[in-house]
Formats: sequence, structure tokens, C-alpha cells
Amino acid sequence: MDYLQENYFTLLLTFLYVGGCLYVGWYFKRQAAQGVADYYVAKRKIPGWVVSLAFFSTSASTNTYIGQAGKSFQFGLSWAWMGLIWTIFCIISWQLLGPRMRAQTARLQSFTVPDYFHLRYQSNLAKYIRLLSAFIILFATVWYMAGIAKGCAVVLETVLDVPYLWGAAAILFITCAYTIWGGMYSVLWTDAIQGIIMFGVAILLLLLPFLFVGGVEELFTSIRQTEHVTKTGEPMGNGLVTFGSLVSFLYILGIGLSIGMKQISEPKNLIRFYSIDNAKSMRFAMIWTPVFLGISLVCVMGLGALVHGMVTAEEAAYLIQDTDKVVGFMLAKFDNKLVSGICVAGLFAAGMSSLASVIIIIGTALVKDIWHVVLPMPEDKLIPRTKWAMLAYCCATFGLVWALHLYPLAGIVELTAFAGAVFAASFFPGIFGGLYLRWGTDAGALASMVTGMVVNVVWRAFFRFRFAGLQEVHEVIPAFLISLLVYLLVSRLTARRKPAEDHLQLVFGEA
Amino acid sequence: MDFWTAFPYWGILVLIAFNAWLVIRRDI
Repeated sequence: MDYLQENYFTLLLTFLYVGGCLYVGWYFKRQAAQGVADYYVAKRKIPGWVVSLAFFSTSASTNTYIGQAGKSFQFGLSWAWMGLIWTIFCIISWQLLGPRMRAQTARLQSFTVPDYFHLRYQSNLAKYIRLLSAFIILFATVWYMAGIAKGCAVVLETVLDVPYLWGAAAILFITCAYTIWGGMYSVLWTDAIQGIIMFGVAILLLLLPFLFVGGVEELFTSIRQTEHVTKTGEPMGNGLVTFGSLVSFLYILGIGLSIGMKQISEPKNLIRFYSIDNAKSMRFAMIWTPVFLGISLVCVMGLGALVHGMVTAEEAAYLIQDTDKVVGFMLAKFDNKLVSGICVAGLFAAGMSSLASVIIIIGTALVKDIWHVVLPMPEDKLIPRTKWAMLAYCCATFGLVWALHLYPLAGIVELTAFAGAVFAASFFPGIFGGLYLRWGTDAGALASMVTGMVVNVVWRAFFRFRFAGLQEVHEVIPAFLISLLVYLLVSRLTARRKPAEDHLQLVFGEA
Repeated sequence: MDFWTAFPYWGILVLIAFNAWLVIRRDI
């Protein structure tokens, strides 16, 4: 009974939120089952404001709202550069890829990112590009899914005392349920609702340290000069407000690029362009997505540094050793049930919106881009099998979360950033070339995809940590540049593999 | 707070405004 009295508001909000998500999934169940175009891309009939919010909520996850927000506790206010870098790539994605991707995928009847490679480059070799890209998605995404499920489970455990594995299972299978029911319709509409919650919560989180201390000047006075220590025990002094003091700009740039560049290459982001209903909506989303993402990220990225104004030196010394605990600690310290309930809903929204987006990408990659390519199936089997594939993958992810609980693996955040680097280097050249270069070839796309993976692995394994001065050069930088160069070079060398002229006229809207 | 630490906090607003200007000029 005490438990209910203690947590009634958070429980009420959580049930309302989960019930709302499940209702949206159920509402679209019949509509989504009408055909592949409905289930995979919501028949390209979604308004711009929904897609805009969905792009934002997919891009930011619990890794952002807990992990990245906590990082500035260690690195200071200049960590907000991360938010600026991400927003630059969000703008590049919408300006450079958005309108063309929507137009070309509609003309080619493309429903997934791997099948875009196949349909655009149109050859037997392009079939293998489709298969390879689907396998990259499967491998790179499982760590991301496990990371988000872990993040949400930690929130449930610390706020509502839900046992860790039960929390992870609840998050995974509730998200899986509404995604399976409503396909892309429910993913986009729940993402949009979650985006609104996340935007509000980002601003609320930023306000808490100021409210706790009693004003802007009071808070800045306490963090401008602090006795709190760094991870190695050195006093921070004025480090929280001094550029380059607690973290080098190269380090910020490396992490910022590896995660930020996901927005120009990761299928869960690019698939958003497929579903927009018309050019007017595209214009709306191009303007407003950077607003939602940029303002939220800058609010969240500087949050940890401000928490120094709320905690004692002893508490700071404890938190600096595990910055993932900073946001939860701040909410506990603020100690307001209403605020905690709303913020927990925001953290769930951040986790579940990203989770739903990758679950549907996994289902479509497994069934349409691997199974259907290797063993073609009747059209009416695609949707039921996609649903089963999504459920199976959620079970596998839960198995991984369980295994990680028994045998912890330190580098899961690093693995997620590495997966982002692989997407950026392997997918972007083939997509960019497909959208803009008539002379791009299948051989160029395949060569750049393989190069992107190889350079990422080789740079990380053999160069980055073996030579002084290269430690802070993240593998995404050489891998991206080299794979883009390889695409251009190999396409030039294999110019005769260019698709037929009538196909190119269809691709570029001249037919 | 020095200039480069403060930069992203106001730079984001400049970036958003610049992006909106670019979109308005385009004929999508």
C-alpha cells in the first residue's frame, strides 16, 4: 500500500502513456494490414508535422536523455557542441536527401533502404548490395536495441522499483506489440506523440537546476568556480565553463560526428522521408525538425554540468564515476512527484520511440530484403512474416539483455557509436550517389559499402590506439572520406555498368 | 562562460534561422 501511495502519480502517468501507445497501434491495425505499402511506409500519406516529430524522437533516445546528458557532468557546458553537430547533420539530411529520397523511392516503388540500393542500381550485383546492407542493419541494430532496453529498465528500476529484467521485457514487448499491430502508421503516430513529450521534458529538465538553486545568477556562481573533482581526482575549478578544459574539442567532434552522421545514413532516419505525403509537408518538416531536435539537444547536453550546482562535493565525487546516474539523481534530489512522473514519461518516450523505429526496420530487412530476395514469397505472406520476424528479434534482443545482465560488457555505448560510424561510411555514398549522380554504378556502391566497414574496423584496431595523436580521430572520419572517394572512383572506372537510360529517366523523374 | 563554451547555446538559434531561410528560398 505504501508503494502505491509513494508512486501513484508516476504509475498513473506510465499506465496512461503505455495505454495510449497500445491504443494507437490497435487503431491502425486494420489499415496497416491492407498491403505492403501501408505496413512498410504508411502508404506515403503522413503529414509533415508527424514525420518531423517522428524524425526527432527517433534520433534522440534514452542514450541521449540519460547517457549524453550525464556526460556534461564530467565534461562541462561545452558538451552542448554535440547538440550543435547533430543538428547540422539533421539539416544536411533534410536539405540534401529528404526531397530527392521521397521522390525517387515513390517512383521506384521502394519500401526499405536496402531495396532502394537494388531498385536504383538495378542489376544482379545490386541484389547483393541489398542483402549486405540488410545484414549490416541486423548486426548494427541489435546493440542499439539492447542499449535502449537497458536504459529504460534502469529508469523503471530506480523510479518504480521494477526488477531490471522485468522492466526490460515490459519495454521491449509493449513497443513490439504496437509496432506489430499498426506497422509504420503506429510507429510514426506514436513517435510524434512521444516527440511532443520529449521536447517538453527536455526544457523541463533544463529548468530544474535553476529552480532548485533559486535563479540563474545563483546557479552560475556555484558552477563558475567549483571544488568538485574530475574523474581522476583533480579539482575542476572553472573547468565547467571553460572551453577545452575538461574535454578536448577533437573528442567532442569525433563522438559528435559518429553519432550525428547517423542522421544522413541510418535506415530508421532515412525511412522517414518515404512516408511524407506531399511537397508542402516536406517543406514544413525541413524547417521544423531542426527546431525540435536542436533545442532539445542543447537543453539536454548541458544539463549534467548544471547539476553540479545542486550536489555536494561528496555526491559529485560519487556521480563523476558513473555519469549515467546524474539525471536520476537530479530528479531524486529535486523530489517532486509531479516533475518526476512527467520526466519518467519523457524518458520512456525517448526510449520507446527509437525502439519502435528500429523494430520495424529489422522486420522489413529480415523478411523483404533477405528472405524474400533469397526465397521469393507471395505478396500476401510479406506482412504476417514481417510481424513474426519482429517478435522473434525482440525475443533475441531480450536474450541479449539477459546475457549482458549476467555477463556485463563495458563497451555497449562504444559499440553503438561504432555501429553509427559503419552506417555513415557504408550507406551514405551509395545513397548520395544514387540520388544525385547519374553515373553512379552498382560496383561503386558495393565497393564503398565494403570499404566503409573495413576502414572502420582497421582504423580502430590497428591505427587509432597505436599512434600518439590519432587517439582522438574517430574511425568515422577516415572511413567516411575513403568510402566516398571509393564510390566516386569505382563508379568512374565501371562507367559501362551504369543502368539503362530509360531506367535513369524514371529514377530522375524525366520519364 | 567563455565565447566558445557559450557558442552552441546561441549558435543553435542562428543555425535554425539560417536553415529556415534556405528552405523558404527553395522550390521543392
